[in-house]
Amino acid sequence: MAEENTTDPTQGNSKLVGLLAQFDDPDSLVHACDQARQAGYTKTDAYSPFPVHGIDPALGIKRTVLPFIVLGIALGAVFIGLGMQWYTNGGSIGGVSTDESPLFPGYRFKISGKPYFSLPANIPVTFEVIVLSSAFASFFGMWFLNKLPMLANPLHRISRFKRATNDKFFLMIKNADAKFDRGSTEAQLNEWGAVAVEECRQDLTDIRLPGWLRLVALIGAILLMLPPVAIFRAMGMTNRAPRLHFMPDMDWQDKSKTQTVSPRLVNDEFLFADERAMRAPVDGSVARGQLDADPEMYRGIKRDYTPAVSVTTATGSVRTSLGPNQNQQDVPAAAPPAEDVSMFITTFPDEIEVTEELLARGQQRFNIYCTACHGFSGNGNGLVNQRALALAATGKATWTTAKSLHDPMVKDPEKNPIGRIFDTITNGRATMGPYGDQIPTADRWAIVAYVKALQETGIEPPVVVAEEGGAVAEGTTTEPSKTGDGTKPRP
Amino acid sequence: MATVNPVLDNTYDDAAKRTPLVLGGLDYAGVTDDVCKIWEEEKPQKIWFLVLGVAFSLLLVLGACVGHLLMKGTGVWGNNNPAYWGWPIVNFVFWVGIGHAGTLISAILFLFRQNWRTSINRAAEAMTIFAVICAGLFPGIHIGRVWAFYWLFPVPTEHLAMWPNFRSPLLWDVFAVSTYATVSVLFWYMGMVPDIATFRDRCKTRIGKLVYGLLSLGWTGSARAWHRYEIAYTILAALATPLVLSVHTIVSFDFAVSQVPGWHTTIFPPYFVAGAIFSGFAMVVTLLVPVRKMYGLENLITLRHLENMCKIIMATGMMVGTAYGIEFFIAWYSGVQYESYAFYNRAFGNYWWAYWIMVSCNVLIPQVFWIKWCRTTPWFMVIICIFVNIGMWFERFVITVTSLCRDFVPSSWAYFHPTWIDLLMLIGSFGLFTTLFALFCRYLPVIAMAEVKGVIPRDHDH
Repeated sequence: MAEENTTDPTQGNSKLVGLLAQFDDPDSLVHACDQARQAGYTKTDAYSPFPVHGIDPALGIKRTVLPFIVLGIALGAVFIGLGMQWYTNGGSIGGVSTDESPLFPGYRFKISGKPYFSLPANIPVTFEVIVLSSAFASFFGMWFLNKLPMLANPLHRISRFKRATNDKFFLMIKNADAKFDRGSTEAQLNEWGAVAVEECRQDLTDIRLPGWLRLVALIGAILLMLPPVAIFRAMGMTNRAPRLHFMPDMDWQDKSKTQTVSPRLVNDEFLFADERAMRAPVDGSVARGQLDADPEMYRGIKRDYTPAVSVTTATGSVRTSLGPNQNQQDVPAAAPPAEDVSMFITTFPDEIEVTEELLARGQQRFNIYCTACHGFSGNGNGLVNQRALALAATGKATWTTAKSLHDPMVKDPEKNPIGRIFDTITNGRATMGPYGDQIPTADRWAIVAYVKALQETGIEPPVVVAEEGGAVAEGTTTEPSKTGDGTKPRP
Repeated sequence: MATVNPVLDNTYDDAAKRTPLVLGGLDYAGVTDDVCKIWEEEKPQKIWFLVLGVAFSLLLVLGACVGHLLMKGTGVWGNNNPAYWGWPIVNFVFWVGIGHAGTLISAILFLFRQNWRTSINRAAEAMTIFAVICAGLFPGIHIGRVWAFYWLFPVPTEHLAMWPNFRSPLLWDVFAVSTYATVSVLFWYMGMVPDIATFRDRCKTRIGKLVYGLLSLGWTGSARAWHRYEIAYTILAALATPLVLSVHTIVSFDFAVSQVPGWHTTIFPPYFVAGAIFSGFAMVVTLLVPVRKMYGLENLITLRHLENMCKIIMATGMMVGTAYGIEFFIAWYSGVQYESYAFYNRAFGNYWWAYWIMVSCNVLIPQVFWIKWCRTTPWFMVIICIFVNIGMWFERFVITVTSLCRDFVPSSWAYFHPTWIDLLMLIGSFGLFTTLFALFCRYLPVIAMAEVKGVIPRDHDH
């Protein structure tokens, strides 16, 4: 073995890497490589401006594994490409779809009833993903296997070697080779036709990273952290200032919305003379689905009944005022105090057929809208009632107990015919508010049917003790849901 | 050393001899010097400054148009009911098609061991990348709100709460074109690494040493590195070959998957690919003839190279012509009145002028290449190639606009009117392309030196 580190003053503190022999044409390079391999050298390498044919066997270079790396990546890309499309477009396995995933759910495009995942449509993108991944694999795989980028290399310090990328050919026998000997190896290289032989030495004086570079790198790394830190900090805190709009994204548009004042145009002109930005409907026009001409269906009042007093509201629709009703501001105080019960229909209107489905619907709507005050059994002791009574007991509020639907007056078909129940739900009564705006007409009739069924069960209101805290359970007997269905409430 | 062949004409065919691909008796150093002198000139030629100046001005025009479009919206284009796809898609398909010749030369001819590709592949690949940049610009700004461009990709976005529709050809296009651009850049850069190393070793300025030193990754030309490099290059070529065919196939799906008469045809994928190669080769010739003249590269980009390209142009031109004929045959043979009308309207309707420009430029004019003088006279072939590219632009115009302006409902029939912005953007895209190409000629190796050295015959070859 030759010397490792030399203290020769002409060489400085340097290490011998190997001997570099120059050749002038590719054939003599291949020949020399062949000789070197036969002489038993293994740690050798050749350098040429272009790939020289026949040099691989001459140097004993084994075939690279790169194709298998690329194949592996390509096969993986098949699954990644298909899986990405399957997941993002809401594919499903055994009825479980990715569009129900809590994190980054897939999105199902409903287009002409086509399947959400179909292999033919997903082949182009899968193919492109395979090609892209394989190209990256072969490109960076080549880097990795060739240990590129390797910017520091003692070879680049040899001025003769600059022609390795131009027109000269080089063979290097490395110091690390077991057979390497400074003198005899040089003799052999000359014998094999080298034009020149030169030592390749690695300078050991300046291979350490300069200290200031570390400092600069550290400061740079800290500075680079600042933007992400600022972003994450902003994401984790609330801020009342409006967000920055780098791109307006059509957030502000020159347009007027409904129910707004017209923008002032030039010379005090407005879009319309009444200074509105929109037009009111023409008098007497009826919006689609809003024609409520049939009084039996829409108000629960007999068709042949002539109202004693009718009030024409601003929109032109006719409403019959029904007794004392605090919720109706537009009803004059002089409305007739006496209520004519005979005007209400006593059977369901023609459009409503009482079926089990209607009762089920009525029960469901009743449970949503009515039970808060009236309770599930209709006894007038819903949660609101309980809480209000508890508050009233402490003197913090006043409360009129909600009516029990089993109250004899309420149950009496003479005094409270079906049409009047409908009217009560629609317009409210006494302290009860109107629900006409919240519950569609058909659903109100369904609730009426359910109320009649509930009343037929005849459950007596259980004794209720308003305890402090308002936690009062209704009796176990107050489950009317099934019993109500069996009775036919038609009076 | 290599055979000294002082004759510049190597277009003869002698079966007994291998045609030399490098003339003038250039040896390895001669090839290096010939290519590097473009970059080593102290001051570039005046003509280079002139070309760059004009191109850069057009690039500024393009920038102004894009800025105007971003401020005002896509309404500044002539796209309107019923031709919602106007010049932007025409320009997109035109530029993507141009790019295809570069990949064909670098990948397909490589796999077929066509050694004559070596001195033209670098410039052709550069052309591919610059053409794809021009192509990507048009759909890129067509999305209107470019700052939301990442919605094109399957990126989890909080406020969109959607993913791309992977059954849409337009999305396939996003994947195809972006993959194509990426793989082309990888292929181009990888081929260039050994040549950049040559630049690094010859460079005299500090900044040049730094930049080329970084770009060459420390390449030494080691036999082991060459071994892996060649295999990696072959794999990339094998990947780029189906890729380039898939890209224009998928671009044609944008049309063919729709229902519009004149678009809904199965011939589109092969027809588009042939047209792409046709227009791309025409562009390579248009670029390389002046480059070879300007930089004295006649020994490397020889007449034989140009002649081979002219033959390919003629062959692909006839493929395109066949496709035009088949379209008419199918329109008649199918018996579908909409299809028949679409093609009758193309040739004899109100866009007859565009159709016949397309047929004359693409099918008739390239027929002159049957004559040897025409395909061995550089200035003449440039003129023909410019006609080819005009014809290919009109082909995309005819396909896009005539079909949209005459769809199923006569009440929506109309005539397409481009705006000034349309025109300036098309011209500006040429400015972008030429600027990039001029910079490439000056600062990067125009010819793949390492590959050309590999095809110089060695002493024992003869």
